[in-house]
Amino acid sequence: MKMIELLQKIDLKIKLAIIAIFLGITAFIISNPFDNSIAKINVKNLAVMVQTEVDHVNVDEIADWIIKDKSDYRLIDLRTEKEFNDYNIPTSENIPITNLLDGELARNEKIVLYSEGGIHSAQAWFLLKAKEYKSVYILRGGLEEWKDRILFPKLISNATPEDKAKFEIASAISRYFGGQPQIVTGSEITLSVANPNPTPKIQAPTGSSIGGAQKKKKREGC
Amino acid sequence: MNAPFFKFDFFSADFSLVIAFAIGIGFGFALERGGFGNARILASQFYFTDMRVLKVMFSAIVTAMLGVFFFVAFGWLDLSLVYYTDTNLIPQVVGGLILGVGFVVGGYCPGTSCVSAATGRIDGVIYLLGVMAGIFVFGEIFPLIEGFYYSSNMGRVFLPDYLGLSYGMIVFLVVLMAVGAFAAAEWGEKKMAAKSGGVK
Amino acid sequence: MSSITGIFSKEAVQEKIHEPKPYSNPYLVGIGLGLVLLAAFIIMGRGLGASGAFSSLVAAGVQQVAPDHAANNPYFKEYIGDGSTNPLKDWLVFEVLGVFVGGLISGLLAHRVKKTVEKGDRISVRNRLIFAFIGGGLMGFGAKLARGCTSGQALTGGALLNLGSWAFMMMVFAGAYGMAYFMRRQWT
Repeated sequence: MKMIELLQKIDLKIKLAIIAIFLGITAFIISNPFDNSIAKINVKNLAVMVQTEVDHVNVDEIADWIIKDKSDYRLIDLRTEKEFNDYNIPTSENIPITNLLDGELARNEKIVLYSEGGIHSAQAWFLLKAKEYKSVYILRGGLEEWKDRILFPKLISNATPEDKAKFEIASAISRYFGGQPQIVTGSEITLSVANPNPTPKIQAPTGSSIGGAQKKKKREGC
Repeated sequence: MNAPFFKFDFFSADFSLVIAFAIGIGFGFALERGGFGNARILASQFYFTDMRVLKVMFSAIVTAMLGVFFFVAFGWLDLSLVYYTDTNLIPQVVGGLILGVGFVVGGYCPGTSCVSAATGRIDGVIYLLGVMAGIFVFGEIFPLIEGFYYSSNMGRVFLPDYLGLSYGMIVFLVVLMAVGAFAAAEWGEKKMAAKSGGVK
Repeated sequence: MSSITGIFSKEAVQEKIHEPKPYSNPYLVGIGLGLVLLAAFIIMGRGLGASGAFSSLVAAGVQQVAPDHAANNPYFKEYIGDGSTNPLKDWLVFEVLGVFVGGLISGLLAHRVKKTVEKGDRISVRNRLIFAFIGGGLMGFGAKLARGCTSGQALTGGALLNLGSWAFMMMVFAGAYGMAYFMRRQWT
């Protein structure tokens, strides 16, 4: 009772000052709220995600997104700079795996990772997930799969008409990305003839269209 | 919790305008409550007779700063997704000086003049016209001063990084500084009131 | 006699009701303002602003009058954008509309809405309005140079511990205190 009376007697200003200083000292004790190298992960959650493969993107999906010029995701090439310069999937950005957490990527972005095969991107996926990046995906099969299925699709000579129809589409996509569709007869590989059905001409995506999407973001300041 | 909500697509860009309006109402309401719709009250800050500007501004900064710090500490808020401007030191220093002069000449800053205009102050309305004229002139001569405008760019500079101290340490120092400034302001107001012989 | 005093006191009561209420405790107002700012950070990931809305307005005005001129000006162009959206359909524009409404609501509740000119006793209304325009002009120009005004830089950047904002804030006070002596006839 006496305590309450005493508290009531203290001026509001003083009370507020005491609260502020108390919180300030607490902040001082916490000192650094974002220590970057240690993370806590929900193991069970991640295991379920691995099991259900919700975090995979197929090469044909990516090809489709690039052709449609979608810009709501970022395609990240995890290989070294030299490998990236030799060849990369159009519209991709190069962030070597050691630089992944340096702040290039934001937690609210949709991120698709790829590497040569699939191992590095899977490992990078764990790093990002542990740091609570929201939507991180792995390109299934990596660059190898991209080359196999997108750049150099194959058709065996005794294919069914269905397969042939699919191959026509694949060839169009392949040529779009500058690849070469191939027909396999026995052990020999020959280049396929030009597509008899002219597919609609698609403009190749350029880097500027991605940049344009970024630029559209208006200034946020005062 | 994943904040900022907007950056994690909790709602659409169109809905963000509704939120803008609601936040603006809170902002305007607080400014008016503080007496910031009145140029005489704002100006008296600069004659040491009423230190409301300092008190309101610094308690707002301290409140928001502490809030941000603890939200970050609990892992609820991703500070890297909260937007703030780059530091361009020299243009900002010069701009700040011009703005300070404009503050005492005109009696308002852009936000407070909106409140003053909304509550019927003619000088607030005229002031706003002045602001737009100033922006127009800036835009027109921008090509001439573009070099200066973009000079001394230091990127996004976070004070703790710049000073090499921990985030919590800086927060604590700012709180101490603010409380000290409040104490000085209270003391100064009493002095000024005694000097002018009036009882406030 | 008694009836007269009765009427008088009733009038006095009525007078009292419509008297402007005193302004609130500045520290509590500050905390309220800080919470609004914090809400903006958490919900939107951005702070408050004011002058940016007027930049959009000016840019839109220039675009209306002289579209080619606006498109060629690198500064206005940034506010107009690529033409796919109306420059006035902007976060800050809506926020500032809210500021007008919020200020009006608070003013009405406290009976502080009044058509008047705020000035000291030693200056004419005409001169006060001239100074208001000049001060506004300086403020508009300075705010663009500094990338924000008191709300966008000092408050927002101050709470986020942004170096440029703190330097800016110190300079605002320096500029204002430096100029205060020359402006004393306007205010005291």
